[in-house]
Amino acid sequence: MATLEIKDLHVEVTEVTDEENQTAKEILKGVNLTMKTGEIHAIMGPNGTGKSTLSQTIMGQPAYHVTQGDILLNGESIVDMPVDERARKGLFLAMQYPAEIQGVTNAEFLRAAVNARRPKDDQISVMDFLKELDKNLDILDMSEAMTERYLNEGFSGGEKKRNEILQLLMIKPSFALLDEIDSGLDIDALKVVSKGVNAMRGDNFGSMIITHYQRLLNYIVPDVVHIMMGGRIVKTGDASLAERLEKEGYAGLRDDLNIDVALVDED
Amino acid sequence: MDTMETQSQTATAIQTAAQQHNEPTWLIHKRLAALAQMPDLPMPRVQRFNYRDWAMMPDTLAWRQSAPELAATAESDCQIVQVGQTTVRVNLPESLQEQGVILTDIFTAAREYPDLVQAAFMTKAIQANENRLASYHTAYLNAGVFLYVPDNVVITDPVDVQLVQDNTQDQPLVSHVLAVAGRNAEFSINQHLTTVGDQTNLANCLLEVVAHANSHVTIAALDELGPQTLAYVERRAYADDNAVVNWAVGFMNEGDTIGNFDTELNGNGAQADAKVIAITDHDQRMGVNTKITNRGKHTNGNILQRGVILEQSELVYNGIGDIIHGAAGSEAEQENRLLMMSSEAHGNANPILLIDENDVMAGHAASVGQVDEQQLYYLMSRGLERETAERLVIRGFLGAVLSAIPAKAVRQQLIAIIERKLENGR
Ligand SMILES: Nc1ncnc2c1ncn2[C@@H]1O[C@H](COP(=O)(O)OP(=O)(O)O)[C@@H](O)[C@H]1O
Ligand SMILES: [Mg+2]
Repeated sequence: MATLEIKDLHVEVTEVTDEENQTAKEILKGVNLTMKTGEIHAIMGPNGTGKSTLSQTIMGQPAYHVTQGDILLNGESIVDMPVDERARKGLFLAMQYPAEIQGVTNAEFLRAAVNARRPKDDQISVMDFLKELDKNLDILDMSEAMTERYLNEGFSGGEKKRNEILQLLMIKPSFALLDEIDSGLDIDALKVVSKGVNAMRGDNFGSMIITHYQRLLNYIVPDVVHIMMGGRIVKTGDASLAERLEKEGYAGLRDDLNIDVALVDED
Repeated sequence: MDTMETQSQTATAIQTAAQQHNEPTWLIHKRLAALAQMPDLPMPRVQRFNYRDWAMMPDTLAWRQSAPELAATAESDCQIVQVGQTTVRVNLPESLQEQGVILTDIFTAAREYPDLVQAAFMTKAIQANENRLASYHTAYLNAGVFLYVPDNVVITDPVDVQLVQDNTQDQPLVSHVLAVAGRNAEFSINQHLTTVGDQTNLANCLLEVVAHANSHVTIAALDELGPQTLAYVERRAYADDNAVVNWAVGFMNEGDTIGNFDTELNGNGAQADAKVIAITDHDQRMGVNTKITNRGKHTNGNILQRGVILEQSELVYNGIGDIIHGAAGSEAEQENRLLMMSSEAHGNANPILLIDENDVMAGHAASVGQVDEQQLYYLMSRGLERETAERLVIRGFLGAVLSAIPAKAVRQQLIAIIERKLENGR
């Protein structure tokens, strides 16, 4: 069993306000969260509240500075590790905006990624790789042609999301952070993507699913739901919390909980 | 001693050396005429690249033997191998000899096929009075190859031209490859330039193609001159009606280099495609002009250049599209892109369009940039080490040119060289 612990996490970014001035802006203001493999956690929250920041900070995006608190993977602090090392230790982030890389085929990249987590003298054979790839393409209802295209280049929004999940299935991390994997997907695509994530479910896999809407959670049923507002987790519950949120909206929940934050989408 | 006197002494020295070498009178005259012009000619212009203090014209013409063992042993059915001035191997299948194909060293050709050589040698694709280094080349020529493919002859396998600069000795390499394609002829050349030895020398290497009507010529060139070599590499082509000349050049020299490429689309409907890849490292400096001149009507030129600049090196790409008045219905496209891998790297991608005709289509794109940190982050977030991620991004960047190189063997060789350079250059 693997564990991921986030302890009193404070995160800042440096904002360049104009040519001369830079100011530090605190986005996360003390996040606490513990998850284990075998569990699916959902993080819900209004826009601009710091959900992507949380996932990027866990993964190790250098723009986000941890000013206080810690992130522990299996008891070991990872805040000073570069992103690639964190990935090899079992973290994965399906990004909201995946980068496009010309000239590098999806298949070539996937193989490099799979091999990155294996010892140099035990790289995956072409046969095994293709077998695994075919199996996962099948789950995601993706054509083989997608693997010969350049990585994310010219992919539609939906294709990018599927491709993130394809990487997840190939790389098999212990913890996957999925950032708005449902945004821009129609219902059929949403089902396919959920099927991919559900295929990973088991004792050796945990996931943090970030979403704005409850809809995704009908397909990937979470064990724990956290509500995030203003850079903190303000409420934690089971799947029914997501349903309550769906009815009341973020503003309603905020007022219920007596939290003092402004919502971006509020008039 | 005044300059006039020096000049006449030099002329005498060249004349004596050429006579010792049993050269035909026409060639000796051509050398002397070029020598006389030298002082009045400008150096080749490479925009945004200053090489004024480079010593590119050592005034020696002497005949030296090089050890044949200095050449790689790789043999192919159709090839010529030279080390310095010494021709080590010439293989030309009998079937091609019977069809009139000629493959020999340039001086033998000048004696034995004077009409063929004289008609094409620095008369069409480039002339000795074009710039000072071209006239230097003519005056001090000391090695070279002649390939002649008569009308209607098609050679299926590439002609392998291997030139090894002999830097075990103190001597410049002034080498001329002349390839003539008769009407409807088709062939390809794989040219490989390398260096042995570690003395400091100049290489002035010129390749010219004269492509007669309807011929198809493809040149894949892999330049791997050593760090001790100051290189001037000139590649020129003249294309007559409906002739097609395609270039793929891997500029992998380790020393300071000027590249000057030009294809003259003289005939109506002629086409050229020039693909160039360069990687520079250490404190190397490289300036490259890649030019296509549209002169005939409905001609079509396409330039695609990609370069990677490592460490403190400098790489300048000038893409020059020159459309002459009267070249109606012509097209000129170019794309020049550079990737800088360090903050001390210098790069310049400079599209130059000279258009003197209304009825044309012309376009250009150019960029100089750093590796995109977002891309690296994305790749690394999948567990790839920074180096592996960088290499993928670079290979992807070069991919557009690499994948378009028709000769698979050349492509693989080039990829191997690129991988090696990237490994060392960090
Ligand atoms: N790299 C950054 N630079 C400056 N501001 C940022 C950066 N990343 C996020 N922010 C700001 O932090 C806040 C939270 O953003 P984000 O984590 O993307 O929220 P969410 O994913 O919940 O919508 C927003 O106000 C956003 O503008
Ligand atoms: Mg977000």
